[in-house]
Formats: sequence, C-alpha cells, structure tokens
Amino acid sequence: MSMIKRSVLARQFGIKTWREFPPMNTSLGTMLHNQTGSWRYLKPIYEDKTPPCQNACPAGNDIEGWIKLLQNGDFKQAYWHLKREQPFPAMLGRVCFTFCEPACNRLELDEAVGIRELERFLGDQVPLSTPHPDLPDGNGKRLAVVGSGPAGMSAAYYGRLLGYDVHLFEALPVMGGVLRVGIPAYRLPRELVEAEFEGLKNMGIVMKPNTPVGDVEALAKLRNAFDYIFLATGVHLSMKLLVKGEDEGRGVLSGLALLKKVAQSEPVHLGKKTAIIGGGNTAIDCARTAVRMGCDVTVLYRRSEAEMPAHPEEVREAREEGVQFRFLAAPERIELNEDGFVTKLVCSEMRLGPPDESGRRRPEKKEGALFDIMTDTIVTAIGERPDFSYLKDAVPIENGILHPDENLQVHAALNGNAKIYAGGDIIDMPHTVVHAVAAGKKAVIAMDCDHKGKHISEVMESIAVGNGSALSFSKYMEWKPVNSVSQNLRKVVDSEKIVYDYFQKVPRTKREDPDADSRKRSFDVYSRTFTGDDAQKEAARCLHCGRCTECDNCLIFCPDMSVLYKGSDRFGYAFDYDYCKGCGICFTECPRHAISMVEEETPVPEEV
Amino acid sequence: MKQVIKGNHAVAQGVRLSRVEVISAYPITPQTTIVEELSEICASGKLDAKFIKVESEHSAMAAVVGSSTAGVRSFTATSSQGLLLMHEVLHWSAGAGLPIVLANVNRAVAPGWNIWADQTDSLAQRDTGWIQFYCESNQEVLDSVIMSYRLAEQIMVPVMLTYDAFFLSHTSEIVDVPEPDEADAFLPPYVPNSKLDVDHPRAFGGLISPDLYFEGRYAVHHNTLKALDVYPQVCKEFSGAFGRDYDIVEEYETEDADVIAVTAGTITSVTRIAVNSLREKGHKVGLMKLRLFRPVPTERWRQVLGKTSKVVVIDRNLTAGLGGVFASEIQAALYAMETRPSIIPVVAGLGGRDVTPEDVEGIFNYALTHDRPTQKPLFWGLKE
Repeated sequence: MSMIKRSVLARQFGIKTWREFPPMNTSLGTMLHNQTGSWRYLKPIYEDKTPPCQNACPAGNDIEGWIKLLQNGDFKQAYWHLKREQPFPAMLGRVCFTFCEPACNRLELDEAVGIRELERFLGDQVPLSTPHPDLPDGNGKRLAVVGSGPAGMSAAYYGRLLGYDVHLFEALPVMGGVLRVGIPAYRLPRELVEAEFEGLKNMGIVMKPNTPVGDVEALAKLRNAFDYIFLATGVHLSMKLLVKGEDEGRGVLSGLALLKKVAQSEPVHLGKKTAIIGGGNTAIDCARTAVRMGCDVTVLYRRSEAEMPAHPEEVREAREEGVQFRFLAAPERIELNEDGFVTKLVCSEMRLGPPDESGRRRPEKKEGALFDIMTDTIVTAIGERPDFSYLKDAVPIENGILHPDENLQVHAALNGNAKIYAGGDIIDMPHTVVHAVAAGKKAVIAMDCDHKGKHISEVMESIAVGNGSALSFSKYMEWKPVNSVSQNLRKVVDSEKIVYDYFQKVPRTKREDPDADSRKRSFDVYSRTFTGDDAQKEAARCLHCGRCTECDNCLIFCPDMSVLYKGSDRFGYAFDYDYCKGCGICFTECPRHAISMVEEETPVPEEV
Repeated sequence: MKQVIKGNHAVAQGVRLSRVEVISAYPITPQTTIVEELSEICASGKLDAKFIKVESEHSAMAAVVGSSTAGVRSFTATSSQGLLLMHEVLHWSAGAGLPIVLANVNRAVAPGWNIWADQTDSLAQRDTGWIQFYCESNQEVLDSVIMSYRLAEQIMVPVMLTYDAFFLSHTSEIVDVPEPDEADAFLPPYVPNSKLDVDHPRAFGGLISPDLYFEGRYAVHHNTLKALDVYPQVCKEFSGAFGRDYDIVEEYETEDADVIAVTAGTITSVTRIAVNSLREKGHKVGLMKLRLFRPVPTERWRQVLGKTSKVVVIDRNLTAGLGGVFASEIQAALYAMETRPSIIPVVAGLGGRDVTPEDVEGIFNYALTHDRPTQKPLFWGLKE
C-alpha cells in the first residue's frame, strides 16, 4: 500500500496529521479474521492413553477409570466399571499379587497408589450376589466351562455377558477351584467365594458341582451338547521330591492335599514340628496354614530368598507369624522310625552357581555338606502340574501342559462339534488368579469372534491394551470410557511423560492390620477393608496418567486462548484450531500426558 | 495520619492509596519488603488488586504490560539486576504508551555482588522512554507514587520512581500517609481510551514499515515531553491538596551561590548539611536537587545553574569510559547557553559507600579552589 493511500486511510479514522499518529500501531478493527492456526504444522489433540498400571495388569483392568469414579464418591458406578475388565474385585482385591503397583508412576514421587486396597474396597460396596444389571438375551449358543476356578469363573461371566448359555462344571462338591480349596481362608474367606458364585448363578449361569468331566467320552458328550468348551481344570498333582522315604513315610504329604483338606474341613494331622519344602506361594500358604494349626514351621528352599517365587508380602507376613526360613537347603532323604513315622529330614547345603534357563542362579550341592532338620511332618510344595488323565491322548500335551493357539483355541481331533479353548494353569502362563481371569476373558472373546464370523486377529489387535497382552472387554463391547474423549489404549504413559512438578508427596494410606500374634490364632481373615474416607483419600493419590482430569492447566497456559472449555455439562475441552498455533505449551504442561501432538495432514497437491 | 515507616512501606502505602488493580513483581533485595507488604495488603482486602506471581522480573514487567494494555492501573517494583532484566519490556511499555508505574530501589549492579545504593541501574534505562523521578525522602516516595499515576495516565507514558537502597528503602522516617478519600480526590479512577478486549481482539504493535515507524517514535518522544508541561500542574494540585511541593528541581541557597552542587537521591540531604555548614563559615554555596530526569528539563536546569559560574555534579553512578551520567547530561543541556558555568563532575559513593557531610564539604572546597577540574571526572574517595 502506498503512503498516500495510507494517509487517506488514517484520515478516515480521524488522524489528520502525522503528528497525531499513535505511539503504538494498533489495528482499528477486530483481528478475528487473522486465523493464526494456519501457521501450525503440529496440532494438539486430547487423547486419553493407557496408564502403566492398566498396562501391567494381565487383565487390562481400567484402574484409573474406576479410581476416578471412586474419587467422586460414586462407589457403585465404580464397582460396575471395575467389573468390566476384572469381574471379581472382592477376591482379587484380597489375593492379587498386584502387577499394577510396581508399575505405578507414583513410585517416582513417593509410593505406589494402594490399588489393591481400593479394588477390595469397591468389591465390598455391592452385594456379590447382585447380578450384572444389564444382561443381554441369549444368543442361542451354549458354552461349557470345565473347571470353576478363576479362569472358569471369568469365562462363565464374560460368556454370559455376551449372551451364551453357560454351564459351569466342577469335579468337587464345592465351586471355586483354587479359590476355594487352594488359597487359605485367612486370605480369601469361603463365604466370599460362595457369594461370587451366587452372583454368577443369579446371572443365569448353570452350576454343575460334583460333575467331573472324567474321561474322553464325557468330553465328547459335551462336544455334542455345546457349541464351545472352555477347559480350565487347573493343577492338581504335586511334584515329587524324589527322595528316599517320601512315598512310604508317615507324616509326608503334599501341599495341595494339605490346603485342600483344610479348606474342606477334612481331618488332617500335622506334627508339632513341620517342615515345608518349596519357595512358591503354595509353600507359604502351607506354612501359614500350619502355623494356624499350632505347628513350629520351617520353610526349606534350595535357592536364596532373592530367587523365591513367592510374593514378598506373603513372605514378610509369614515371618511375622513365626515361620522360620532355611535357604540353600535341598532334601536328600527322609529318615523314619520303626513305625514309619518321619523323624528327620537330611538336607544338602547348596550354593548358587551360574544362571539357569529361568535366569535365576542354579543351586548346586556343596559336596558332603549335610545337615539334619528334626521334624515329624514334611509338606512338599515344590510345584504342581495338571492332571490330564481325562484327555488321554486326544489332545497333544507337551511338557505336561496344553498348547492352544494364540487365541487359546485347542486344535484337537476329538469327536463332536464344539470348539475347544483352554486357559489358566493348564497352559503356559503364570499361575496367578489374575492371569487366569485374563485367560477366561480372552477365550470368550475368541469364541465370540468365531461365532460372529469376525476377523479374530484384527479384533484382538483393536482391543489390545498397552504393549502387553491384555484385552479390553469394554472396547470389544464398545462401552464408553469414563472420560468421553478419544482413547488410544496402545499408548502407555510412562514416568518420563508425567510432569511431577504438579504433584505433591502424600504418604500412602495404610491398612490397619492386627499384629501377627492375634491373627495367627485362627483362619479368619485378619486384614480390614478401607473405610470410605480412607479409600477416597488413597484414590486422590492417583496421578491419572494419560487421562484428562479437567485440571485446567491447558486452559490456563494456552497463550492464544485456543483452549475452549466445553461447559459444566460436557467433559473436557476443545481446541480452537482457527487460532491454535501449535506451540505445544498445553502438551508440555499437561501434568499427565493426556494431550498428544500430531502432525498436520499434509495438503494433497492438486493435480496439474 | 503520620506514621513511622520505611521507604519500601511508603511505596506500598502509595500503591494502596492509588487503588492499583494489578500488581506483578518478583522479589529482589532491597525491594523485597515492598512486595511482601503489598501481598499482605492484597490478602487483607485493603486493596482489591490481582497480585500476579511470576518467575522473573522480565515476566513481571510483561505481566503489567498485559494488564495495562487491557486498560487496568498496574504497578511493579524492582531493583538493580531485576530492572536490567526488564530492559526489553521497558522499551515496549514506553513505546506502547502504557501508564505503568514502577518503583525502583537504586542498587549497585554486579559484579561484585553488592546490594547497596547506586543509581547506575535506573540511569542505564534512561533511553527506554520512561519518565524518571529521583526521590530523597520516604514522604517523597509515597507522594511520588500517587503523583506518578496522575501524570502517567494524563500523558500515557510510564513512570519510574527511584530511591536509594537502604538509606531510604530500609530506614524509617515520619511519613504523613494520606487518607483514602484525600487520595481519591486527587487521583481519579483510570479510564483508558482504548483497551485490549479478548472478544474483539486487535493487533498491538505488529510489523510496521519504515514509512510509518518514524512517526510512531516521534509520537513517543512528543508524549514524553508533555510531562514538562503537565507535571507542574500535577505538582500544583498536589501541593494544594496535601501541602507538599515537589518541583521538577529544588533549589537551596542558590541565589548568590559561587558554587552550586547538583545531586539526586539521598546525597541531597547530606549536601544540605554541607551547604549550611559552609554558609556558616562564609562560603557561598548552594544546591540543586534533581528530581525529574526524564524528560530532560533543559530550561529549568539552565535557569537555575545559570545563576552561578561553577557547578559541581555529584554522581552516585558510573558509565565506564564516560563518567557520571548526571554530569554528562547537564553539560549537554547547558552547552548552548551563551555564558555557561564551568562544570566539575564528581563520582562518589558507588555501591553504597558512605558520602558524609564532610565529604561534600571537601567536594565544595575543591570546587571553590579550582577553576577547572584536575581530572574528569573526579573520583571522590577513591583508594590509592
């Protein structure tokens, strides 16, 4: 524009001479037409992601989601939200080995959020016998679940949610498998397990206790009567020590037998001095059970404490209750008196050699270094394996376990029509309750894909959580997440992405447990569930990694006022892309990485 | 009501009485107690102002540029390194014609690290376009805050008032604190002509080409010069309302003086004592207290200093390679006079070194016995 034109323009606005020119040039009209968003090459988007706890959970539990609801005081809604991905909060809230907590980003700040205590709290908020409030009609397909442990329960639950006519078969007179006859009652009360089954029954799942599948013929019958079968028969055979005196000695028993008998109130005799052999969770369960039966208990383990597979919290509590540990000790032989009763256990002293195939250091015998443990009862708990006698050779078994395909389907040449899936401790996966629950969920989704003719690998890919193997049942069902913003569950928010400057240290809320002396006197559950106040206090410690909390930081920091609040009736914010320059300050200052920066789509050049 | 208060608290009271609406400041010794007192005043509800906490002086200045552009009476305070950090934004605020008031506690510039009185910090801002007042007492400090807003908002130029570290900032004096209604009567609410409005966004200070920038700069200069006409009226009104007079310069025993000393800040009070003492001994000496430094009151300087044949300028500041800033500016202002006094530039008291009445007497004696300085400038009290 020439000078003359400018001066004409200036006069239009009342500037008569150059001497009236204002000190600072200021536009005379609005600048709204100047859409500075056109300068942008990266743009921010609101994108909820997967927190590390959910990523670490084998079941893909949407922990952040229900913590947010819990924090708001909506306990019932939180309970039902929790059950979307993990149907048994009351049980897992007591016995889960918490893969989530060691992954918690809060560890960088102080201590992990007490996720398991919160889950337990929610699990106790709704009577367990309450059926799912929104059950679909039957889809006409029948599902037989064989084995009523956690994998079977999970498959039954999700099967019913998808409309299957589910029958749950159990060999024992009591339902629950390891939950009922494995895990001791002081960790998981029997009434609670029974109440969970009431809930499943009230959902319309048919209970079949005292119904062992037994043999190949029985299985073939099931294959004709059902469309899908899920095998989750668990582990029932104790591994043997293979030492002299084991088979004939009176006072030698397996850990599984001990736990099973105690759980079913059958008589079992333990001597005053009891030695437990093994370093896993079964060994610790046996040790603490024996303590409650009045025994002096020593746990013998052939490696050192660092290699023990048992959960450290269990080991700590066992110690508090007076259990002795003897590490680097391997049984050599059991000595018996003339009546065949155990008198002592002769052990070898061990030392740790180079790592073995498990990555742990291999125990080696110190030659000639023997010592005696004077004892009258020996409980063997060095491992368990499945009992596949019912399958005979109908299904290929390698290394004592089943090998289904990646979607848990077992390909077997058996008579009948039903497709067979398997999960839990009978396949190659860690022996934990939460892994079993995850397997039940996965198998049912796989069956449903088969039933509906969906492309299974695409479905599995689309509902995968984080970088692990967990699946989102919510996503499969297209249920809405707690935050109504777009979600990318494959992105995991690790601690590097959290802006810790925005968070203060707050000590973890402690559970008040009675002392070891009082709790070891009975099989009653000793630990207490959080109060509502405690639960909300602890929930407030959650950083909500990767999930918007409407903290307003983006709104406050945006230098272009291009973050718009949607109003109190709608969740979150929107970007005003007309003026957002893509500076990324919102992205940088989001305390929890709920904003992502994505490249602008490159305009496609027009064809000449 | 008369109170015994420190210079920093006098500033805070002045801000309260001016009903400032936005305060943004970052603490720095010796300014800190201004910020403390103001935050307490805001918290107590005695002043309905938004106190914006920031992470640096640059941001503090930027924040008040924002609030002032939005048409709100705004205040900040700083010292030394903090003022230097504001430098870029000082230019902007003056160029944009924003009537901000800034209190600067004159403190030495590092290195070496020194928190005591020295005027180099504010004199280094003389080219930013801000009006500058140098104050001598806590009463003057308080009154200057209120007067500054009157002046700034009338001519749309920011005002910096300065006073010496510790000699005033941390020294208690009797101060007559005006009543709120008295202050309100003198200083009406600020009504901006135009302001930033987020619903009708406008561009402020965008790119401007050579054919228009020049005129904008001229406008800044022109507005700043208006202070020479407007300030005397403000002064007169203030004097009428409160009975205290603060002229552009203050003369003391100048009428028949053989030597007139020029001082700014607290050295002025010391120099008054020296003048009295020397007058008793029969020496005709006088004093010109320099209060308004920007815009340069050339005519007033000529009128006062034209009364004598010898002027000694005592600078508590130093521009390396030149000397004291006040001396050089006064020389420049007086140069065009047909008969002008000879000027003896003296640099004294840097970094808070005490300048006593005996020192000033010594400086006067030097001036009385020398027609021209033996060195330019004379570094008074420099250790051998």
